[in-house]
Amino acid sequence: MSKPVVRAQDLLVGYGGAPVCAPVSFTLAPGKAVALVGANGSGKSTVLKSVLGLLTPASGTLRVLGEPVDERDVEFRTRVASVLDDDAYFPALTVAEHLYLTARGHGVLGAQAVVDELLEEFGLADHRTALPVALSSGQRRRLLLAAGFARPRSLLVLDEPEQRLDRAMRDRLAQRLLAEKRDGGAVLLATHDPDLVLAVADRAVVVADDVSRLVDAPQAARFISRENP
Amino acid sequence: MSDEAVAAVAPAEIGEVPSARAIRRYTAQAANARGGAGLGTVLSDVYFAVISVAISVLVALGFTRNLRLDVHPSTHVETSWDLSLPALVAIVLLAGAGALLSVAGRLGPVGAGGAEAAWWLGLPVDRRGLLRPASLRLPALAGVVGGVVVAVLESGLLATPGSTVGRAALAGVVAGAGVVLVAGVAQSAGARRRTIALVGDLVALVGPVAALVLVLTGAELPALTPGWLVVGLVAAAVVALAVLVDRRLGLIPARSLRESGSVATQAVGAVVSLDSRELGRALTDGALPAARRRVSRLRTVRGAASALVTADLVVLRRSTRHVVQLVVAALLPAIVVAVPQLASPPGVLVALLVAGYVAASATGEGARRAEMAPILDRLLPLEARTVRRLRMVVPGAVMLLWSLVAFTAVGLWADRLVGWLALAVASAPVWAAATVRAAYRSAPDWSGPLVSTPAGALPGGVAAVLARGPDVVVLGLLPVWIAVLIGRTGTVLLTAQLLFAVIAVAVASSIETRPLMERMMAAQEPEKRP
Repeated sequence: MSKPVVRAQDLLVGYGGAPVCAPVSFTLAPGKAVALVGANGSGKSTVLKSVLGLLTPASGTLRVLGEPVDERDVEFRTRVASVLDDDAYFPALTVAEHLYLTARGHGVLGAQAVVDELLEEFGLADHRTALPVALSSGQRRRLLLAAGFARPRSLLVLDEPEQRLDRAMRDRLAQRLLAEKRDGGAVLLATHDPDLVLAVADRAVVVADDVSRLVDAPQAARFISRENP
Repeated sequence: MSDEAVAAVAPAEIGEVPSARAIRRYTAQAANARGGAGLGTVLSDVYFAVISVAISVLVALGFTRNLRLDVHPSTHVETSWDLSLPALVAIVLLAGAGALLSVAGRLGPVGAGGAEAAWWLGLPVDRRGLLRPASLRLPALAGVVGGVVVAVLESGLLATPGSTVGRAALAGVVAGAGVVLVAGVAQSAGARRRTIALVGDLVALVGPVAALVLVLTGAELPALTPGWLVVGLVAAAVVALAVLVDRRLGLIPARSLRESGSVATQAVGAVVSLDSRELGRALTDGALPAARRRVSRLRTVRGAASALVTADLVVLRRSTRHVVQLVVAALLPAIVVAVPQLASPPGVLVALLVAGYVAASATGEGARRAEMAPILDRLLPLEARTVRRLRMVVPGAVMLLWSLVAFTAVGLWADRLVGWLALAVASAPVWAAATVRAAYRSAPDWSGPLVSTPAGALPGGVAAVLARGPDVVVLGLLPVWIAVLIGRTGTVLLTAQLLFAVIAVAVASSIETRPLMERMMAAQEPEKRP
């Protein structure tokens, strides 16, 4: 059996020593996807930040790719890709140039073909020469998502990737994430979209104040539907 | 990583990762190509920057020289507690170094904000190469500021000979850069921004306290202008610090870089848009803890009005920077009256007004935050005018304490202490009014036509906007001006000050945003109609 990509055991996360949710425990294997679900402010993004090394856990065990998390390690950055809600762009770089920067920065050979394919896939082909200021909120979100796929990775971490995407793009994203799993990549995502959970996730963690629990995807989808009727 | 060093999924074959320098160049070239930053533009920007700095330095030099030549040693009272001018300069520089360390700590000093955080920090390149220019920018700026300040003080105030000024200025450059680099080393060692800022605040506090100790003990400071050997040794140490910071850049976690970058971006934006309130918020928020150990029970809250006042008090109490600012500003008039060369009516007046405005600004954080996000104001059933008046309570109370301390020094300098203390009480509301008026001023109108100045394009009427607050200090304290300049108080001046205080509070309570002239014209409009 392959080693887990992420292993969190009684992981307690928070700010300034104050936990934001109950401890979470889960294991994410290569080729699998785990979804974090929960109400707004429940701590999903905080867990993701800890996995990415952007926040030091308050307690518990957290290992990514078999090692304690250290995003300063070049290899960590090589193998862990993330799409957070960073709505920040170089104002003078075009859509395509942002993707070239990511692809070439990771040493991707034939970056132009990769970028062309991603622009097409994420509906940005007509905007390849557009500057970020000319993009809509949804287009900027698609650019961020495309960048996540423009580089090599063993783990893809996504924070509410469905935000600002229309139905068709959400379906396309789900297909992309399924392909990711098939190729052996691991996916960890925080989401409010029950359909995305059902389509992609193998397991889910319901993140909450009192107790966080591991459930299967249909249970998680029902939980989301109940929380957001 | 323990196993499988190769990523599981890749969009294509993976080759060699480019250097950090190549990444920076790629980004910069695109920015230069589209941002119009050609050689001509760069030269023009450099020209304007050099001209602006040169003009500012000459103005500062002229001011300090005139101050030295125009003010004469105090003849009011013979005191045994004198402070020499060189000692004052040394203390000012120490306090300045503390303030610089505090600001450097709040800004990071090394950071990567916005796009750089989002698009650079995730790349598997050597972060040192990405961060190197950013890590050098702040020490270089601090070095320039340090050199200019030392040169102005040495040349203008102490009338030091030219060759010595050059050496002292070089020491200022080295010290300024060194202070920021120390903050950089601390950041790379994992020190929190608020810890570095707190140390800086405490160092800033040491300056005036040391001055007070020197005054009370009658101790003398030896001449502090360093020799070439000392300057050389310190410069070597600073270079070593720079190398150390450079080597440790890769150790700074992305979390710290992102936070610092965010604060720096906000601070730079505030400076560019001439928004001192936003700058204060950026520097304060940058050093706030994520959580507090204790929750204030707000026991003094009895209703809407007391809730507002209590909130303002809590905001002030929790900001170390503002408390330090208050203490330093309270000691400043006492220090100035102890320096024979400065203890003349103009010198004392300048010290009183500057220190008072610095102290008053420290008390207005609640009002400034409320102006930006009036969350509490909207929750409470209070009229806007009442809110303004209530916002003057904390500044008024704190400035009353400040005034009693500051005017005691003035009273000891000028004699007849009781009269000065009465004037202190009467003037306290003016400071509070100025603070609230400044906090609620509208932002400069950047949508209108811009005026070309040596410092760049500025919106029309910017001076009028920035003067809201200081104008109340200047006009509302006219009786204090007169009292300090003639060296005595009296019933007439005291009555006048009370009257001015009432007017100042009325002005600061106004919720009108239109200028007075516009309002007067609008009021006359109906009369013109047939």
